[in-house]
Amino acid sequence: MVRFKKTVLSLGVAATLAAVTQTPAVADTADKRIALSNNYAGNSWRQAMLTSWDKITSAAVKDGVVASADAFTTAENQVTEQAAQIQNLILQGYDAIVINAASPDALNGAVEEACAAGIKVISFDGIVTAPCAWRIAIDFKQMGKEQLVYLAKHMPDGGNLLEIRGLAGVFVDDEISAGIHEGVAENSQFKIVGSVHGDWAQDVSQKAVAGILPSLPEITGVVTQGGDGYGAAQAFKAAGRPMPLIIMGNRQDELKWWKEQKDANGYKTMSVSIAPGVSTLAFWVAQQILDGADVPKELTVPFLRVDQDDLEEKLAGTEEGSVANVEYSLDDAKKVIAGK
Amino acid sequence: MTAALSKHFKTVVGKPWIWAFAGAFAVWAATVLYTGGTGAGQILSAALSFATFSVIVGMGQMYVITLGPGNVDLSIPATMTFAGAVSMKIMETQDIMILPGLVIALLCGLTVGVFNYGLIRTLRIPPIIATLSSSFLVQSCAIAYGRGLKIKPPELLAEFTTAKIAGVPLLAICVIALAAVMSVVLHRTVFGRSVLAIGQNSRAAELAGVKVNFIRLATYAQSGVLAALCGYLLAGFSGGASLNMGAEYLLASIAVVVIGGTSVAGGFANLPGLWGAALFMFLLVTMLNTFGLSAGIRLLLTGVIIVGVITLAGGRRN
Repeated sequence: MVRFKKTVLSLGVAATLAAVTQTPAVADTADKRIALSNNYAGNSWRQAMLTSWDKITSAAVKDGVVASADAFTTAENQVTEQAAQIQNLILQGYDAIVINAASPDALNGAVEEACAAGIKVISFDGIVTAPCAWRIAIDFKQMGKEQLVYLAKHMPDGGNLLEIRGLAGVFVDDEISAGIHEGVAENSQFKIVGSVHGDWAQDVSQKAVAGILPSLPEITGVVTQGGDGYGAAQAFKAAGRPMPLIIMGNRQDELKWWKEQKDANGYKTMSVSIAPGVSTLAFWVAQQILDGADVPKELTVPFLRVDQDDLEEKLAGTEEGSVANVEYSLDDAKKVIAGK
Repeated sequence: MTAALSKHFKTVVGKPWIWAFAGAFAVWAATVLYTGGTGAGQILSAALSFATFSVIVGMGQMYVITLGPGNVDLSIPATMTFAGAVSMKIMETQDIMILPGLVIALLCGLTVGVFNYGLIRTLRIPPIIATLSSSFLVQSCAIAYGRGLKIKPPELLAEFTTAKIAGVPLLAICVIALAAVMSVVLHRTVFGRSVLAIGQNSRAAELAGVKVNFIRLATYAQSGVLAALCGYLLAGFSGGASLNMGAEYLLASIAVVVIGGTSVAGGFANLPGLWGAALFMFLLVTMLNTFGLSAGIRLLLTGVIIVGVITLAGGRRN
């Protein structure tokens, strides 16, 4: 009992000390205002991204970490519209603007105006190339390559692969695909026998796969870009073909389907994507920059990966119809800044 | 007299839609030749499955376009998404709610269609702007209503939409029947004839006693209802309604109308062409995918081939 009290006491002291050491950080940004400039909200990933932003930032505002953190989304995913929006945010006097950009270079003019006005600009996911801005980038190439690393480990004999790509002409699609092809080059037992564009949408993928499938030989694996795995599974099922190993992209319907297959016949695969909560990582990075921390301009987001062992846990934590998510804390942000 | 009649028949019905079917057959044959004959039947079966959805929205769009220059419904994708999201949420995967879900989906479509015409008529906004802006409103409603969460369809609905009889999708058979009915409606009923008359000359139609405003209202409402039906069925077919499920069907709905040989200037329409064009569009993408061409070349060829087919069909008509 006495020992217990002592522990409580020492914990209390530690907490007070921690509070004291943290206070300057809180005080420095307590009057700062951060804006989120978002180019698109029309899919479940972006919806989860905005929900996470709202959840974390409203708590931060309540705790007095920042004065406000408002989210603004453009209606039409257009560069001109987002550039105008950024100019409005400059006029409204925000201290930092967090951007998920419609284009890597077309917004640079507006971004540089913001920098010139002394505003810190932090881009994530859809990054901007203006040198004055910070970039929280995703290593899409590695995301593609990791799929082949997994396949090579679990299917040492190799086989025929079907590649489902994203939206043609988009930088992300080229990068992930380049990573996949690099992985195939290193593991020559695999061969890509077909490639379709699924636009990261389940119904488009289903349609594209259903079209090409009759002309393909037996497929052992399907490499994907996220949002397309369940559609591919539907197409294989409808065609009455043996179910290949389909790499998933963290959507709840994909994880749920995987779980059903796992329970029924021990189906094995893995799932990898970026957590929509990356917006909260960008928020904390912005807060750290405003706090005067020395933050490198180029940062990289960690992947959110689901494996055979933690499938149940991740699935249980994912809302029906949404996408597997994780919200980042200030400590996570500090780790990313430190490059760990 | 007979010669004049047969010439008339050829100009209006005979020539325009045959090109879409010819195109569909040509790309299918090219695909099958390339694969050495494997999967010929399965490719056709898949094409029928997916063409069904383009045909449903295409029918609504065709009637609207036939009303004459400037008439087009750009709210189809948003209506599909909205009706799909609302009905899936109301059905909550219960088989017993399938019919109520369908009724509610169709009511959503009806509301959007009537609202569209309300904007066009009472506020005198051109249809292209009116339907575009209402699509923003409807899409926002869908986002607010579903928060982007994908809800699974009832088991029975999923089975119905994916069922096949001897390789032929059940849904395709139903929609072929629906298209036949719509064809009769277009050519043999007062409503259909009125739509054609308005498209040929709105003023003359009015003087001849056609209730122009009522017919236009009904046409936009019909387009909304068909888009909603498509959203409902597509959500059942592909395992749930998602926020971007309609995106593909804006261009598809217009493309099948035009490639199918319906006049963009209005006044002349045909139903069979929709099927030919929808099959052609799917088989074209399948062919280019099978050839394994890069995305750039694929898009380029898609554009060139579509222009080619339209020129062939349209050139003969003039």
